[in-house]
Amino acid sequence: MYVRLFAASWLLFCAVLAVIAWGFQAPFAYDPVGPRAYPLLLLSLMSAGSLWLVIKPGLLEQTLNTRAAIRAVLCVLALLAYALLFEVLGFVISTTLATFALGLLFTGRPLPCAISAVLMGVLLYGLFDYLLDVPLPLGLFEAFVES
Amino acid sequence: METLNFLMQGFEVATRPENLLVALFGAFVGTIVGLLPGLGPINGVALLLPLAFALGLSPETALILLAAVYLGCEYGGRISAILLNVPGDAAAVMTTLDGYPLARQGKAGIALSLSAVSSFIGSMIATCGVVLFAPILANWAVAFGPAEYFVLMIFAIACLGGMVGDKPVKTLMAALIGLALATVGVDSTTGVYRFTFGSVSLSDGIQFVIVVIGFFSVSEVLLMLEKTHNGQKAVKASGRLLFNFKEFCFTFWTMVRSAVAGFVIGVLPGAGATIASAMTYMTEKRMAGPNGKFGDGDLRGLAAPEAANNASACGSLIPMLTLGVPGSGTTAVMIGALTLYNITPGPLLFEQQPDVVWGLIASLFIGNVILLVMNIPLVGLFARMLSVPNWVLVPAITVISMVGVYAVHSTTFDLVLMIGLGVFGYILRKLDFPLSALILGFVLGELMEDNLRRALSISAGDLNILWGSPISLCLWALTALMLALPGLRWWRSRRAAQLANA
Repeated sequence: MYVRLFAASWLLFCAVLAVIAWGFQAPFAYDPVGPRAYPLLLLSLMSAGSLWLVIKPGLLEQTLNTRAAIRAVLCVLALLAYALLFEVLGFVISTTLATFALGLLFTGRPLPCAISAVLMGVLLYGLFDYLLDVPLPLGLFEAFVES
Repeated sequence: METLNFLMQGFEVATRPENLLVALFGAFVGTIVGLLPGLGPINGVALLLPLAFALGLSPETALILLAAVYLGCEYGGRISAILLNVPGDAAAVMTTLDGYPLARQGKAGIALSLSAVSSFIGSMIATCGVVLFAPILANWAVAFGPAEYFVLMIFAIACLGGMVGDKPVKTLMAALIGLALATVGVDSTTGVYRFTFGSVSLSDGIQFVIVVIGFFSVSEVLLMLEKTHNGQKAVKASGRLLFNFKEFCFTFWTMVRSAVAGFVIGVLPGAGATIASAMTYMTEKRMAGPNGKFGDGDLRGLAAPEAANNASACGSLIPMLTLGVPGSGTTAVMIGALTLYNITPGPLLFEQQPDVVWGLIASLFIGNVILLVMNIPLVGLFARMLSVPNWVLVPAITVISMVGVYAVHSTTFDLVLMIGLGVFGYILRKLDFPLSALILGFVLGELMEDNLRRALSISAGDLNILWGSPISLCLWALTALMLALPGLRWWRSRRAAQLANA
């Protein structure tokens, strides 16, 4: 059922992309193929595949578990918040918050989660920024550090 | 003789202190990633790739690191398979069948040490195979023109569909999605922007690191959400810790046979370690006949899949190095790593970058010895890693993924894109689409389009060039065979069912 749903929406998506791809035209012809043919070829093959899956989705026992779905959505939201706050709050604070939230989601108890979150925020910053030379955003701490 | 000279040169590269250090580190990390259930070689390589790049490692050092991780994962998967009855990576499924019963019988120490040696022998034989066959294939592959390359890539994708078996349409769909993702960005020949939706961040195409980490790490985090276990009880390794000579002799030929079979399967594009270990296990079981105790702790049933999965991991490096076409999901990621360094894998690699190729091959020998030495005494330490609870592990994976993606361009857009792709990957995985096919498609995408267009430029648009040479005709025939294979299998199983009913 879900495969069918997915394949049908993918078919629609392919159609939309094909309309967009139709507009790819080079001002000059550099090669006989041009930028349009290959994406259109892929899209038509994909549509054929989707059509097949709409007709014959195969056997896949999949039931939607509401509790699991809610947790998955929460997890995605936590990740999104982490990504969006990464630069604003800086690595240390955003990491501490995100790892705490994720820890709780993965059935950790609050206190150990909080401890591991703070440790991860601080230690991983040290590891990446100082030892491995990966520049990370300081965010709110920027004011305190002279550069 | 020439090969030996090159190999010596390779050892010179591989024994440089920084490369040895990196191999040691990679082997250690790889074993840990391999033994953690849910994390396989692709995740390990994907997590370390941006790190290697950000650290400014030279291409050969980066490749040595990734290869060590790859091998290490194949070693690590068996530990959780034996002690927990949970395969640490997909290829270790067969190891659980006889490994866990052995552990229950109090022979965990024997099982662990014997499987380490099987892994070692498997990789060693396969690495010798790489040394022997890779230069030959590379010489031969120089004859490939753009048209032949294009057909070869089609063959590689068809192979995936034919070999992975029960879901050919989904596999091919996944590969197509990968190919389509690769078309995003500015078209290199004409400068036309494709599927960028007006976004500047997409004009460069979707970065490889983002795709890999999104599809494999982020979706893995979401999948792990469903099986939150907090440190399972592992069987305590007690009794004899090392196998004896008799047990070694008993399994020796099994290891050699499985290693050779695993190597051959690994070389075929598309068929990976999982198929190799399953096939060799079945073969050994059939050969042993009624004398075997397969399923209740036969040592041969432990040795065969372990030797085979390591051998196929090494074997899959051959198509990657010689043809630039990956033999497995993990080697696809490694090809992506090479392209980050502006190195295009292919037959010319052997001439232009002998340091990279032979350094990598030599490092396989060294990495193997490191892994064997590390795995026998340190197995207790690795086993303790299994008790790290998910609420520490998952946040740590998330943070490393974020840092890895951020290190590429330092933009929030990339982070959000990664999560978007991760959610998409999660949905695909829930619907049983194989993501390794997707990543293969993504890696091949640009090469495939370039080669197609180059071929058609040569022929001024005449499509006949695509089946003009004997090589490409042969490849088309093989492709057709691969595409027909699932249908044939389906037809045979249906006939068998009909005969059984009649």
